[in-house]
Amino acid sequence: MVIAGFVVQCQPQSQQDTVAALEAIGQVEVFGADEKGNIVTVVDAESSADLEKIVKRMEKLEQVLTVGLTYLNMEDEAEKIALGELSPDPFPRKPLKKATMTT
Amino acid sequence: MVQTRRDFLKRTAALSAASYLGMLLPFNSAGEALAADDTVWHRGSCRLCGTGCRLELGVKNGLPTALRGVPESRTNMGFLCMKGMLFWKVMNHTDRLTTPLYRAKKSDKFKKISWDEAMNIAADKFAGAVKEHGPNSVAYYGSGQALTEETYFFQKIFRGGLQTNNVEGNPRLCMASATAGYMTSFGADEPIGGYADIEKADCIFIIGSNMAEAHPVIFRRVMRRKLDNPKVTVINADPRISLTSRIADIHLQFNPGTDLALLNALAYVIIDEKLHNEQFIKDYVAFKKGKEESCDFEEYKKSLADYTPEKAATIMGGKVTADQIREVARKFATSKGTLSMWTMGLNQRKQGVWANNLIHNLHILTGQLLKEGADSLSLTGQPNACGGVREAGGLCHILPGHRPIEKEPLRNQVEEAWGVPKGRIPAEPGLHTMAMFTAVNEGKIKAMWINCTSPVQSLPNCDLYNKGMAKDDTFIVCTDIFPTKTTELAANLVLPTAFHFEKTGVYGCTERRSQITRKAINPPKGARPEVEIIRDWAALLAKKLNDPVITQCIKPFEGLEPEYALPKAIWDEYSQKLTKGRDNDLSGAPYEVLEGMFDGVQWPAPTAEYAKTGGTVKKFVRGMDPLAEKLKTDDKPYQFYGAAHPDHKLWVWLRPQANPAEMPDADYPFYLSTGRIIDHWHTMSITGRIPELLRANPYAYIEINPKDATRLGIKPGDMVEITSRRGTNIMPAKVYEGPIEGMVFAYWHDQHPDRMINKVTIDAIDPGSKQPEFKICACKIKKVSGPQALKPYIT
Repeated sequence: MVIAGFVVQCQPQSQQDTVAALEAIGQVEVFGADEKGNIVTVVDAESSADLEKIVKRMEKLEQVLTVGLTYLNMEDEAEKIALGELSPDPFPRKPLKKATMTT
Repeated sequence: MVQTRRDFLKRTAALSAASYLGMLLPFNSAGEALAADDTVWHRGSCRLCGTGCRLELGVKNGLPTALRGVPESRTNMGFLCMKGMLFWKVMNHTDRLTTPLYRAKKSDKFKKISWDEAMNIAADKFAGAVKEHGPNSVAYYGSGQALTEETYFFQKIFRGGLQTNNVEGNPRLCMASATAGYMTSFGADEPIGGYADIEKADCIFIIGSNMAEAHPVIFRRVMRRKLDNPKVTVINADPRISLTSRIADIHLQFNPGTDLALLNALAYVIIDEKLHNEQFIKDYVAFKKGKEESCDFEEYKKSLADYTPEKAATIMGGKVTADQIREVARKFATSKGTLSMWTMGLNQRKQGVWANNLIHNLHILTGQLLKEGADSLSLTGQPNACGGVREAGGLCHILPGHRPIEKEPLRNQVEEAWGVPKGRIPAEPGLHTMAMFTAVNEGKIKAMWINCTSPVQSLPNCDLYNKGMAKDDTFIVCTDIFPTKTTELAANLVLPTAFHFEKTGVYGCTERRSQITRKAINPPKGARPEVEIIRDWAALLAKKLNDPVITQCIKPFEGLEPEYALPKAIWDEYSQKLTKGRDNDLSGAPYEVLEGMFDGVQWPAPTAEYAKTGGTVKKFVRGMDPLAEKLKTDDKPYQFYGAAHPDHKLWVWLRPQANPAEMPDADYPFYLSTGRIIDHWHTMSITGRIPELLRANPYAYIEINPKDATRLGIKPGDMVEITSRRGTNIMPAKVYEGPIEGMVFAYWHDQHPDRMINKVTIDAIDPGSKQPEFKICACKIKKVSGPQALKPYIT
């Protein structure tokens, strides 16, 4: 579980369309919007990787100007990394590059 | 209804975002507080660019579990970018260095050794080099990512202990021309204003900066300003259309290196149409042809005759019209407040200082300075290039507190503060970065300490310098958190260090703002903070060299625990003894004050009471800058007290258009430029290890204008060979209307030997700032194959 809060910016005139487009993305919830085109958005993702994909989708929406992170909770993932159940390494077999070392 | 932890976190996330907008939600934080949460929040700065974004790291059971922005921060107002969002993944990364590694020869394999053995080897090698070859046979090469305490302490040991000024850092590669530009135009380093001008500016002139990718949070502020005030004009001047260009009202696209003509042409129009501020010029401005040669306004005006808009448009390649130049000049001069921002597009140039002078000229001529919304603001690339390296003595020619090394009384002040004998600090500047690595090539540097940076990848024309670093003539110590191309190729000894939030210290960002980050979690077992490493190493050096002066250098820090007391004592010495009375006075900002601030203090801040207000928003303005009042020489509202200008004036410089060191020709017909991509930081030793960031941009590619691509038969994804007189890369093509026709552009983060673009870039330097011309060289390109599946690569 990774939960993130964002202020999504769009042109004020496209606010309603943007809210609809955001909500059409699964795992995205809109909590409010103002007249300047700022949209309070929360993403409930399975993982950082999942979050990244969702953010990229949000950024690619035609009406969206910026996606600004304000809050992130990744406690489940951090715990798994600390326990060795999850590797943050994109090259998981690599430690062995350190194989050039001798002890 | 029972609220789950998931619900609680979602509501917390929503409240966080809503608080930035002053928006009320149907639930509140008081209600949320009912849900049990034992997260402890630690405030600090992001370390992945020069903006200085403030954030809080949430820690639970000793683990980083949450992040949130600091809405009260005047740098980022709470917003963070993707890089900032994911840096926590570095903290428990399986690749972290946790044991000292040693090899006697660089062809040997590393072996793990104890810290005691490692420190003894480091001390032996440096002491031996000094004894046998003299003090200038050793060198320090640091980083704009090191904490101020680290840079300050390293340079203290090298200058005061080992008696060499061979103290440099990678900011020489990114902002040395900005420093020299400020010194020569305004008489003092670093900007007059800061980010606060963004929300007041009516004209925003962005040149040589892709801030949308390199400084995304600042870009967000610019975009918000434009959205809230559609009449604000945003002008983007760059040979390449980038993500930044999408908010521009006017984009000026010109051939690389011709922007000096553009800036002179803007000055031409400003004067020709009498848009300059005569009274401001009369009161505050001098005109200069050379260091010792003055001239007058009329001579300056005459010098611009070669830069009519029509002539400049021709020089610039013909895509910009004379009318566009006139329009931009008018907007620049007549807006209520004009703010210019730039980065490496101006700085990383053989004419980098001149380019900086020319943009300052426009602000001086029009008086678009010192008032709300008006400033000439160089954006810094790294989080502590300003605070640590520019201000705390991290370059070969400056001592802490902006003291030029050649001034004996200023050297004596430092010696007195350190309690070392007069004359201990050598009078001659040390070797600047490119001269230092040339000396490595020549075998003249026998022992070198490289801290928190990877010159094997980041130096221009790197293959040339890597030959020297790979030789056994120079013993190299690297302090870092991950393996890098430099630890791999050049290091004899690798010492594992603590990462950000795993240690305590101060960063100083673009706008003269110093901000503290306190230790929040433990580093991996075996990794140590640099300040502890330096102290222990210096203690051994003192014994091996039998030199009590080295002992004196560490005396104030003996016995202090390294997590807080040691960096605090170092900051106290630096801020209280060496900034007091200087233009970067931070004596009002000890840790106690910095810790009480959401976002730190802008110098000058000579008293704690003043520092607690946030410090000086505008330098040189009486009523806003305490030093302007204290050092005033007349009753005028602006006081230019910078030590480099004894006449207390701003200087307008006559600087002609001048070509880059290498121009395209028949053999190498393209301009090559390089830059950052949003997801990666420098040599990607950090961001390449974060899966989400690596996936976003797993390798570098070369951007080619569609007209060039069609002419050369290159299609998107084709593998393209890029060759200069120095080296070759092969990377996939991205064909799009970014670079101007005749120019290609490559991102520089990729570590793969085929795609390390600094093998191709040029090592020509600005004669004043000694900064290399990464941004422009000549190359040729050709298709070598169709698309190929590539794998990302990291050392």
